[in-house]
Amino acid sequence: MNAIDTAIRAAAASITVKDLTKAYDPQTVVIPPMDVELKAGEFTVVLGPSGCGKSTLLQMIAGLERVSSGKILIGTREVQDLEPKHRGCAMVFQNYALYPHMTVFENMAYSLKVSGTPKAERAERVAAVARMLGLADYLHRKPGQLSGGQRQRVAIGRAIVREPAVLLFDEPLSNLDAQLRHDMRVELADLHRRIGATTVFVTHDQVEAMTLADRILILNKGRIEQFDTPKAIYHNPASVFVAKFIGAPPMNILPVTGDGAALRLADGQVVANASLTGTYQLGIRPEDIVVDGKANGHAVRAALRFREDLGSHSVLAADLGGSIVRIATPFGSDIADRLELDLNFPTSRLHLFDAATGRAIPGAFGAQ
Amino acid sequence: MIENARSLNIAASVILLAGMLYILGPLYLTLATASQSYEFLLRNGLAWYPGDQFFNNAARIFTETRIPIQMLNSLAVAFSLAIATCILSFLSAYAIVYFRIRWAGVAFALILATIMLPVDIRVITTYQVASNVFSPVNALLYVTGLNGLIAKAFGAPVQLELSVLNTHFGLIAPLVAHGTGTFLFRQFFLTLPKDLFKAARMDGAGPVRFMFDILLPLSRTSFAALFVLTFLSGWTQYLWPLVASSTPDMQTAVVGLARLLPDSDGEVPDFPMIMAGAVIVSLVPLLMIALLQRYLVQGLVLSEK
Repeated sequence: MNAIDTAIRAAAASITVKDLTKAYDPQTVVIPPMDVELKAGEFTVVLGPSGCGKSTLLQMIAGLERVSSGKILIGTREVQDLEPKHRGCAMVFQNYALYPHMTVFENMAYSLKVSGTPKAERAERVAAVARMLGLADYLHRKPGQLSGGQRQRVAIGRAIVREPAVLLFDEPLSNLDAQLRHDMRVELADLHRRIGATTVFVTHDQVEAMTLADRILILNKGRIEQFDTPKAIYHNPASVFVAKFIGAPPMNILPVTGDGAALRLADGQVVANASLTGTYQLGIRPEDIVVDGKANGHAVRAALRFREDLGSHSVLAADLGGSIVRIATPFGSDIADRLELDLNFPTSRLHLFDAATGRAIPGAFGAQ
Repeated sequence: MIENARSLNIAASVILLAGMLYILGPLYLTLATASQSYEFLLRNGLAWYPGDQFFNNAARIFTETRIPIQMLNSLAVAFSLAIATCILSFLSAYAIVYFRIRWAGVAFALILATIMLPVDIRVITTYQVASNVFSPVNALLYVTGLNGLIAKAFGAPVQLELSVLNTHFGLIAPLVAHGTGTFLFRQFFLTLPKDLFKAARMDGAGPVRFMFDILLPLSRTSFAALFVLTFLSGWTQYLWPLVASSTPDMQTAVVGLARLLPDSDGEVPDFPMIMAGAVIVSLVPLLMIALLQRYLVQGLVLSEK
């Protein structure tokens, strides 16, 4: 561990958001009152579909957007009325936003130059960061002469050279091709493990969220749907929205009716025993559906519509009581060519959601 | 559509040739006449072949006319115009593109409207204002009735007078107000990544610092292009310098050239000398284009590097 790592680890601060709102006018409320606390040194991914307010939240933390009301604390300091440069945040932008006329060195040293850091110290710090990111040989090139991944690294270097209390990423990987995106994801995870900066990473890509995050903050129309570890979010989604957003293919959601003894599908087939009455939404992940199994004794019949072979496994789509369910099965199974399937939904893998609000009903089938 | 028919090629070539003749013919006539003597002109009219008197005629431009001092005027006007236009356009485009201004759209529309209102159209009102730059203020004081109050309080109404006619400032100022440059810079700024401004703010650079450290270096080629274009238009201005300057020492070279024609009828103008003058006056913009044409093209295609 060298000097810059320790410096960043020491600078890392928590972020506390209290009653934060953002509205451009009374009709267009982007973020209704929000309370959340991001711990120091934690990698938080803010995940949501486009237009959910995740970038706005990030820009308000950075100071690029004004808050409509509420407070933002970095460490113990209220920052919502401070200029970006006084907040101790650094940001990596989607299109890198490197200064095209400056060399890699000048790009990374610019914030230090503006803050009046002596020349010798500037050179030293840039050199340390460049070594860490493998950019030492490119310091005299201009951004135009670099590849996408290298530019991304320069943008990260420019952000961490200031030893920020908070590191912000605004969809930084969405401009890269699939292979490079994967490599950068690994690099980012590795970098975070080494420097331990408080990181807020905005994305709409659930794979990035699942692989990078210590905790994922899922936003929907400005509201927090769930804020938890990737594992908890995957296994215990708090709402239908989260259930459908995380996982590929997404969780199957089926409308069911409870008659006091069992849950029935729209066509009357019994899918599970439960002493519930009323209408609900039943969720089950594609990989949790057992084909031809006898997990809880209630096999339901579905008509196979099509299959996608992905090499490692196949995804089957079947018509079950009028809705399509997706089933992930091991590749090579002989079920793929049959037209009728008997499906079993293991009770321990079922998720039940309120039909009206979409919120999860925990403990509906005993211990979850 | 690309056609390869031979007859079409020939037709196109003929049209091109005719166009070239149309442009190069008068140019050749100018050069040929400029190299003949006045006596030759009196005997033969405009020359169709070159002679050996060009340097004689050129020397007479420098000794017998005010063209040299007028060229200095032209230089001063064209340079100041180009610099002032560049600065004004850059700043106004910066304000329009990078700041959330309530009436930015309206302001930009008004600036664009100036492209449709060149000096040639508004020459009379511009002259009125130039002859007394306070005339709009005076008019406003009268219209609002403020002057009546002032007259009651102080015994006389306010009537401010300041003429900028026949000054370099008067020659330049009305030409600076032109929207082309603002448009050029705006289009260029819009091609830059939007997050550049935010990145600079995150790095601690305020709006002024961003302008000098980032926007200005990136706009080099746009500056060069606009500079050349405005310089050329300033150098070749005819109507406004003609109206706004009254003494030969304040006139520009293009106006001076026209004034070389004798005022009285019947006298044959000294065309060889005038043509030599035209050649000399054209040399400066020609040099300008030759030196900066690279930037001219780059700046107008709106791309960096």
